[in-house]
Parts: sequence; structure tokens; C-alpha cells
Amino acid sequence: MAGFLYMSNLNTALTSALPSALPKAGLTYTVLVRAGAEQQSQALSAFSFTKELLLQGHQVLRVFFYQQGVHWASGLRVMPQDELNLTHLWQQLSKDSGVELGVCIAAALQSGIVDQQEASRYELGHHSLAPQFTLMGLGQLAAASADSDRLVSFGG
Amino acid sequence: MTLSHTPYGSLSAKESLDVALVLAAFEQQPAVLFIDAGVLQLLPDSQTPSSHKHIGKIIAALDMYDINQLWVEQESLDYFGLTQEDLSQQVQLIDRSNVAQLCAQFDQHLVF
Repeated sequence: MAGFLYMSNLNTALTSALPSALPKAGLTYTVLVRAGAEQQSQALSAFSFTKELLLQGHQVLRVFFYQQGVHWASGLRVMPQDELNLTHLWQQLSKDSGVELGVCIAAALQSGIVDQQEASRYELGHHSLAPQFTLMGLGQLAAASADSDRLVSFGG
Repeated sequence: MTLSHTPYGSLSAKESLDVALVLAAFEQQPAVLFIDAGVLQLLPDSQTPSSHKHIGKIIAALDMYDINQLWVEQESLDYFGLTQEDLSQQVQLIDRSNVAQLCAQFDQHLVF
């Protein structure tokens, strides 16, 4: 029972909205998400960590999704009703805080995660990238990490 | 960067080397440390599954990108019964006990 209550509290913290005014302080971070749906707890840690950074007033230059992590950028994931949808959580966090969600384009295309532009370039019938996520090159990981005090990687 | 994956068991070796090349292209001067099964990426004559790029070709390109700090952990080589002469590249050997010290010399450390 205690464990259950703990989990429900945890979920409340995960899904609660960010306050409109965040403190300004601290360091600049790049967060690298390499954990996919198979590594649920690591992927969840990446989200919780990023949200906590923002709550504490740190600057997150970019969240970059690579390897299995690109799957979180799919707009076609459907979760069971009683489970968290991390894709939605990332989208909401990005809307609330403006944090950029970058997705490695090479890894994404291989996993069937394409935006409208790539879908028409490769003459695909569908596009699947979730709103708030942006396809970009690996160079944008290098650029962000070079400009950050800290690079923190989850999963892999 | 620390690389610990076999060359073809998963996409990890290819994807980690891609990060190394991009970091170098962005003038971040990465050094690469091969540990555990990662040392197998340095075997020159490994067979390539047909659907994959030859990891050896990417490894050979590291030098062109000015990634010339290649480290190999001695204990990992020993584990696979390999010596420095078996490897495709000029590398520097390092004992496990000195790895933490090596990592501390860099601003950031990515582990694959």
C-alpha cells in the first residue's frame, strides 16, 4: 500500500504543471535520452530529472533523443489508460517551459519516425513525429553539449 | 567517450562512433576509450553482417577526423586473449585502475 501511495504521489509530481515563473539560477544542461520504451525507468528518470532541473531554475539548452530514445518522439504511441504516456509528458513540459526536444534524424528515420517534410521527401504515405519534437542532426547534440556546463545521458 | 559494445551485436557501436565523428567535426576533440567487448571493434578482419556498415571503416576514419587519442583498457584485451598487435589502429593501453584518472581529464564523458 505504501508503495502504491508513493507511486501515485510520484505521478502527480510528474504530471503537475510547471509554475509560470521559474527561478533563474544555476547551470546550463544538455539532456541526452537514449533509453527507449524497453528501459521505462531510465526513460522516466530522464524526464523527471529534466523537469526538476527546470523547477530549480537551471537552463536546459536542449533535450536530445538518440538511439532507442527516438521512440518517445512518435506521435503514434498509445499507452494503456492507467500508465503514463511519456511522449505526452515531454510535449507538455516543452509547451510549459519552451525546452527544445531534438530528435536525431538518422535514428528517427530508421525507426519510422518522420515529420511531414521527410514524409514527402521520401514519398511516404504517413508522418508520425509528435508535435513539439523536432528532427535534427547529431551535430545539434554536439553543439548543445559544447555550450552546456553539464551533459547528462540516460539509458543506452 | 567510452565504448563497450560489440561491433555488430546492436547498432550501439555504429551510433557511438557517429557521435565521436560529429563531436570531432564540431571541434570538441573527443578521445575514445574501448573497454569490455568494445575492444572487438578494433579487430581488423571481423566479418560484417551484410546489412551493416563495416565498423572497421568508421574506425579507420577516426584519424582523418583528428580523433587520435584512442585508448584501450588492458584488462579487456586480456579477457579476449588479444594483444596490441591484433588491433587495426595505433592505440594507447591503460590499466583499469587508471581509467578514472583519464576520464577526469575531460569536461564531459559519454558512456556507450
